[in-house]
Amino acid sequence: MNGLSKLIANVKTALAQRPQSASHFVSTLQPAAHGDRPAAPLPVAPAMRLTELSAQLARELGKVDGHFIGTFTPDEARAEAVSLAKRINATRIAIGAGVVLDEGPIGRALEHAGFAVTSYRHTAGDTTRIADQMAQCDLGIVEADYAIAATGTFAVTGAAGRPLSLSLLPPINLLIVHASHLVPDLAAAISALGAGTVINHRIALITGPSRTADIEKMIVVGVHGPKQLYAMIVWAEPR
Amino acid sequence: MRAAVYADGSKAIGNRSRLPALIELAFILTESDAACSATISMSAAPEAKTSTDFFEATRQGVANAGLRRKLENSTGRHLDHVGHARAEFPAYDAERDTARRIKEETLAHLDELLIELKRKLEANGCKVFIARNAAEARNYIVKVARDIGAHKIVKGKSMTTEEIELNPALQAAGMEVVETDLGEYIVQLRHERPSHIITPAIHLSKEDIGELFSDQLSIPYTAEPEALTAAARERLRQIFLGAQMGVTGVNFAIAETGTLVLIENEGNGRLCSTLPDTSVAVMGIEKVIPRLSDLSHFLEILARTGTGQKLTTYCNFISGPRRNGELDGPRNVHVVIMDNGRSAMLADPVLREALCCLRCGACLNVCPVYRRIGGHAYNSVYPGPIGSIVSPNLFGSAAGHLPFASTLCGACRDICPVKIDIPRILLHLRWKEGLEGSALTWPRKQRRARNGLARFARMSRHPRAMRILGRLGGLLMRPFARDGYLRRMPPPFNQWTRGRDFPAPGGRHFSAEAISPLSAPDRLNSTGSGTDSSASNSSPNSNDTRAAG
Repeated sequence: MNGLSKLIANVKTALAQRPQSASHFVSTLQPAAHGDRPAAPLPVAPAMRLTELSAQLARELGKVDGHFIGTFTPDEARAEAVSLAKRINATRIAIGAGVVLDEGPIGRALEHAGFAVTSYRHTAGDTTRIADQMAQCDLGIVEADYAIAATGTFAVTGAAGRPLSLSLLPPINLLIVHASHLVPDLAAAISALGAGTVINHRIALITGPSRTADIEKMIVVGVHGPKQLYAMIVWAEPR
Repeated sequence: MRAAVYADGSKAIGNRSRLPALIELAFILTESDAACSATISMSAAPEAKTSTDFFEATRQGVANAGLRRKLENSTGRHLDHVGHARAEFPAYDAERDTARRIKEETLAHLDELLIELKRKLEANGCKVFIARNAAEARNYIVKVARDIGAHKIVKGKSMTTEEIELNPALQAAGMEVVETDLGEYIVQLRHERPSHIITPAIHLSKEDIGELFSDQLSIPYTAEPEALTAAARERLRQIFLGAQMGVTGVNFAIAETGTLVLIENEGNGRLCSTLPDTSVAVMGIEKVIPRLSDLSHFLEILARTGTGQKLTTYCNFISGPRRNGELDGPRNVHVVIMDNGRSAMLADPVLREALCCLRCGACLNVCPVYRRIGGHAYNSVYPGPIGSIVSPNLFGSAAGHLPFASTLCGACRDICPVKIDIPRILLHLRWKEGLEGSALTWPRKQRRARNGLARFARMSRHPRAMRILGRLGGLLMRPFARDGYLRRMPPPFNQWTRGRDFPAPGGRHFSAEAISPLSAPDRLNSTGSGTDSSASNSSPNSNDTRAAG
């Protein structure tokens, strides 16, 4: 897998250059306050663990008809976002404020490539037409708080500058997650989000593009939510 | 002494003594009284709709070969998916047990948890209404819709709103109500009731739906599920963008954080709870769970059993209206917490177990009765095995016959993600029905069959007489046998020979084959009935398993 070997390379470089990023990663992976399940000790070196989790995430996402693009450095992520936008023939793109990553450069790269980009980072005040506007966009880009490897799930929160509808109204959705925010399973994700986030934000756990089996239990992808879902992991120092 | 400490360090609800909690619950209920007196009076009185003419519906259902084919198709596909999902998740059974334990713990502390939930929801900015029955819930929602001047209302899939017959009430108040779940949308266009709790249009083929859409949405006929889905998406998207109010159900309500969790696949639940300015969520009192950390145990099993997915596409956490600076989300969130007969179920030590139900719908798909007759034959909002338990308690004697609509084969118990012993509860309900001098009216044929069985039951208390009669019968029959079978017998036994031959008696008797264990009288008694109400395994009051620390 191309993405996988890239990931390993990325991880190796990052670990060699910035040892503190590895410790950051380990602390995210070992949720201390996780209810009735003791935090599993890391069986392998963090880099190997990350490789394993991202491979699993890619596999599970594929099973639910999502597309895993790969694991990238911020520079590569910009280029990948532009190439995705071209591939799907987008004209209008909506992008929300990042969680730990800076979405600014991606937005600027897309604008530079000639797409009409709406960034919601500084939008405030009149919000009446925001839903209509977002529904007109071809691609919604938003950073997820966590990605769950076991199920191919992304935990996306709504916040100022990051409307939850970004992952709902545009027909195609690109989710970005920081490499250190990969967690093994649902329980770990909920524990990592924590009561504070759950109380203060609306959250959507997203597993693939929207789907239905209401007609003869046959699965149709793309109902009210996005018809296509793309995802990438970005390796960078948190802001 | 119970001790519960939450992850966010908030007050432990179990620490309060039980009495004040009960007093407070009473207070909440009287509060809702006051709120209710202000509501408008509904013109359409809630009538029990469940007909006793179940047998005719059953006959028609069984005779409808097309319906049976559709049901076999859909339920078979579902069971395949579930089998796969369960097989590749080794922790499935452990998670089932955990989920069941949490549900029992929840029911044992339901009063405290509801108070806590109400408090936390209100702290998060939600408006909470406690409804004792369907009418109160309905009136409250109509009032909310009137107050905000709503004329277009979108609805996410919710059996609780079906239970309270919300749509007719809103329509009577002059509002347009649109079901947005694809299956619900289809049955709404057909002016039907959903025939399944998670697959509302399971009784329709793609050709049926194609014809419906070409009629009602004026699109060219197609039976392609993709094309039909796309047509519905386009139609409903415009409605979503113009709606003033969204109504949804609730799958789990976390008391610790005051969070509503809504799971779905299509995204319509998200749209209903995000786009309109006012959002209303309706939940039964049993939907509360204690802690945030409990949630994953339920989510791990619910989709796997309900649809065969690992997780549903969307799990939505809603803790309140949009916060300062946020660009979307409803400005008002109303939560209706409804009893409507559930506390009466809680009071019955056997029935209580049924409140563990997650409404995954798996027991419908696996039930041999449901698979032959379909959901509409039950003539109740909740069909199938779990519906046969819930309906009589929600809709009274009009659904009193449903506990008898089961073969007690136990497939529902085996597939249930929280291991509800459905056959046992059905037997309990049958027994209760008999106790209360039965208001049920059976068709003549069934009445005779039941009387015959009662006679047989009385007779079998005299084993010696039975043996003599059996021998005598055998002797009488033998001269009429041809090739080891009797072709015809006099009434009432001709009921049998009309359809098939009767094997001629001869050789050894069963009673001679069967040795002591079965004929021992005390053994017979203990297997006879499921009516002992001192339910040992469903008593949630036993040990407090709430995690400390």
